Order: sequence, then structure tokens, then C-alpha cells
Amino acid sequence: MTFADDSDLIKRFINGDLSGFENLVRKYQDRVYNLCRYMIRDPQDAQDAAQDTFLKAYKALKDFRPDSSLYTWIYRIAVNTCLDYRRKSHREALRNEPLAEDLPSDKPFPDQLYESGEITEAIQLAIQKLPEKLRAAIVLRELEELSYEEIAEVLHTSAGTVKSRISRAREQLRHILKKNVG
Amino acid sequence: MDDALSPDEKKNFDLHIRSCASCREELEETRALRRLIASARRFPAPSGFATRVLANLDEKKGSRVLGLFGFRPLFLRAAQVAFALVVMTVGITSGNRLLAERTDHIGQTAVKETFSLDLFQATPPDSIGGIYNTLMESRNER
Repeated sequence: MTFADDSDLIKRFINGDLSGFENLVRKYQDRVYNLCRYMIRDPQDAQDAAQDTFLKAYKALKDFRPDSSLYTWIYRIAVNTCLDYRRKSHREALRNEPLAEDLPSDKPFPDQLYESGEITEAIQLAIQKLPEKLRAAIVLRELEELSYEEIAEVLHTSAGTVKSRISRAREQLRHILKKNVG
Repeated sequence: MDDALSPDEKKNFDLHIRSCASCREELEETRALRRLIASARRFPAPSGFATRVLANLDEKKGSRVLGLFGFRPLFLRAAQVAFALVVMTVGITSGNRLLAERTDHIGQTAVKETFSLDLFQATPPDSIGGIYNTLMESRNER
């Protein structure tokens, strides 16, 4: 399915044409939902967070200034919404075990041990154990394939900080995966 | 790894990796991690997702129109209260005027009949209760 240019969709929306917004939702729904599934993991919560993302975008779209790209703007809303959902969730305490317990392991890295479903499950679980800032950076880099500069735009920080966060996230993920499944 | 190094930096990095076993191991593990994440599933939005988003928008818009006591700027709320007070005042004033006109027209007795409990008849003669009372009285007389 092909979609109109973002600026065209925004213009249509501002001129009162709701189909501009509808196209925008259809264009970005998969990317936003995938992000939410790795940021939150629970399918229902992820779906709610993805819906909230678009509702917030709808309210704020009239004030959108094209000094950043629309998709990094939507990703920013999605990341913040997911973090809010996790903070509100009572399950947060259970999922967020202190990383001090995830000590480096001598086990080999489990790179060829899984079926596809198991890989997904293991990655989702490991990502949940990362601190918020590292989680958002690694999901945007490895699962959404954004560049450092794009991630910096989404997270309102510098590309240098993004590099550092991604590097720390990879290191922690290696340790978590080796410990949990190696 | 992310093509983030300049050619010179990359040359130095490669030289170091050749001679440092622990960095080499870390690099291999990080590459393996990236392969693992790359093979993880990408989740497409559930079917009907966009339709549900749009339906939620309609619901919110609807409730905004109907929700008199929902969020409003302060001046709008003040205007709502002022409007309600004006309607109430007009209602009370016109009610009083109507009553005054009625009093002039029919006279005090009619108003008293309407409002006074002293003139209240629990069983007027043409009501069922009144007919029953008349029958009982005539029976007693007999």
C-alpha cells in the first residue's frame, strides 16, 4: 500500500480532511505497534499505548512544526506513552529486577540456540530489564532501525549520548541473555 | 559496527581487535546479539487497529460535545453559569408577573382556592370519594 507524503497528509488534516489523519495512522501503525510491543511486551497494554499514541498525535498535530520529521515526532510520542504505561503498571516492580543481580556470565552467547518464537520472547524479556533510557535507545536502533541522529531527535538528546546508551544497552543485553538462557 | 567510525578510526580499531582477545570476544558477542535481535519477530498492528483509533476519536469528539461539565476554559465555564442564572431569573420574574396578572383578573378568592389548604376539599362532591360519601350519608339517614 502506498501513502501520500507526510506534509501532504498534515496539510489535508489541518484543512479539516480527516482522511489525512487516517492515512497517517495506517502508514505508521505497524512501526508504532512494534515499538510498543518491545517497550511494554504485554500485547493488550502495547495496543492501548499504540492507540494512545495516535490519539495524542491527533490532538497535537495542528501544532506540529516541520522542523523535525513527522515519524520521529510520532516515535517520540510513542516512547513517552510507553514509558508512562510502564510507570503506571504495577507489574513494573516485578519486571524491573535490579541489574546488579545480572552479573556477567562465563556462558557462551546463545546466538544459535532458538526457534524464532523463543528468540522474540527472550529479546522482549531481556529488553524489559533495561533501564528506561537504554531500552528506548536500543529498541529504536535495533528493532526500528533508526540512525543515531534520528534517535537523538526522538529522545531529544545528542547523537553522542545515543551512541553511549546503545553501547551500554548492548552490553547489558549480552549479560542478561547469557545469564537467562545461555 | 554501526558505520559510526571514520576510516582512520576504523583502521586503528581493526589493529586493536587483532591483538586484543577480550575486545575480539566482546565484538563477536555484540555481532551475535545484533543477529539475534534482527531475527526476532516484527509485530504488525492487529487487524482493525486504525479503525479502532478513528472510532475512539469519534467517541471523544462526541463526549466533548455532550459533556457540559467536561474540561472547559475558565471563561467558558463562567459564561455557562451566567447563562444558567439569567435563565433562572427570567423564569422566576415571568412566573411572578403571571401570578400577579392572574390575581388581578380572577381575584384573591381564586388564588386562595388554588393555594390555600383551608379551602382544600379531600373529596369534592363530583369525585368518586364524594359520591361514596353521599351514598353513605343517604344510607345512614334511611
